[in-house]
Amino acid sequence: MTRHVSDESLPDLAESGGSEADRAHVLACRPCAMRVEEARATLALARRAEVPEPSPLYWDAMRQSVGRRIAEEPRRAPRWGWLGPLAAAAAAVAVFALATGRTPAPSATPAPALPAWSALPPAEEDPSLAVLEGLAATGGGLGELDEGRAVGALLAELSDDDYRALADSLRGARQGGES
Amino acid sequence: MSSPALALPIGLAAVAAPPDGGALPREAEREAIEACRRGEREAFDRLVMRYQRDVYRLCYRYVNNHEDANDLAQEVFLKAWRAISRFRGDSAFSTWLYRIAVNACLNFRAVRRPPIQELPEGLADPLPGAAARVESDDEARRVRAAVARLPEKQRATLILKVYHELTHEEVAGILGSTVGTVKANLFHALGNLRRQMAEEGR
Repeated sequence: MTRHVSDESLPDLAESGGSEADRAHVLACRPCAMRVEEARATLALARRAEVPEPSPLYWDAMRQSVGRRIAEEPRRAPRWGWLGPLAAAAAAVAVFALATGRTPAPSATPAPALPAWSALPPAEEDPSLAVLEGLAATGGGLGELDEGRAVGALLAELSDDDYRALADSLRGARQGGES
Repeated sequence: MSSPALALPIGLAAVAAPPDGGALPREAEREAIEACRRGEREAFDRLVMRYQRDVYRLCYRYVNNHEDANDLAQEVFLKAWRAISRFRGDSAFSTWLYRIAVNACLNFRAVRRPPIQELPEGLADPLPGAAARVESDDEARRVRAAVARLPEKQRATLILKVYHELTHEEVAGILGSTVGTVKANLFHALGNLRRQMAEEGR
């Protein structure tokens, strides 16, 4: 006869599972058959102990309560929400550069090289990805801002005064970069 | 933890139509999850409707009373809502949700110990023949109380395996253990449960 079934195998055997060898052993071994039968009876005992059913009204009430609590929570801002205005500014500069055919002067100071290790966040948490994805979505263009409205549409809605103010602001920023 | 009280009466024998809204097809569930990630609360409501019963029952098995189970279940869904943007679909949504629920239950119990002492981990082998005695609601109540007194890992394993019919692998994933440990814990949980019931029956 093969060796007795292990403790860990008993619950499986009690539910008609387990290995073929164990099942064959149980058929031939009375002590193991009794152990399996005990495990089976205990499982049945546990299963009969149902959780009391709440009132049918409870489920709706609970769902509504969860919904209410979620609604009361502060609205979830994107983890890198500060990038929104930054992306808008970058897009506006790009618009201006495209419109005037000029690109901002490169920075006088070269960007520092990254060390071999990097303290940058993991790729999926890298805030710059959101900006790049936005630009990539329009083939290197301007991306979309403000719930799907294109930058061009936003600019088209500006009043003449606002447009002039934006242009002045960008011009000032560009001159500052060139000086 | 104090969620809005839902002190609705519990009908022990009430057999209501399943309030969980029935099965949510896999594709619909995936869409709901995606919508939740975009911040659409209505989509989360569908997930709550689908899983509220499972989560409530899991919590009830831990704390063995309606009020705490209600608090915990709501807390589980709030945590799930806050974390859903991090759900990547590596496991089933239900498995992910159960993991949140088990952790919430363990934390809850760590803060509010039940008055009944848990059994020590290593109990002697149970007395045979006790398992077939439970018939009534009263006995069912004693079984639930006995389950609630099991050591943490044994209780979690028994609840997930027996009442939620998860596989060994799923239970191991939720509890962060191995399949072998799950099997061992289940064996010990059944033994301890049988022993407790035998002692009560004397």
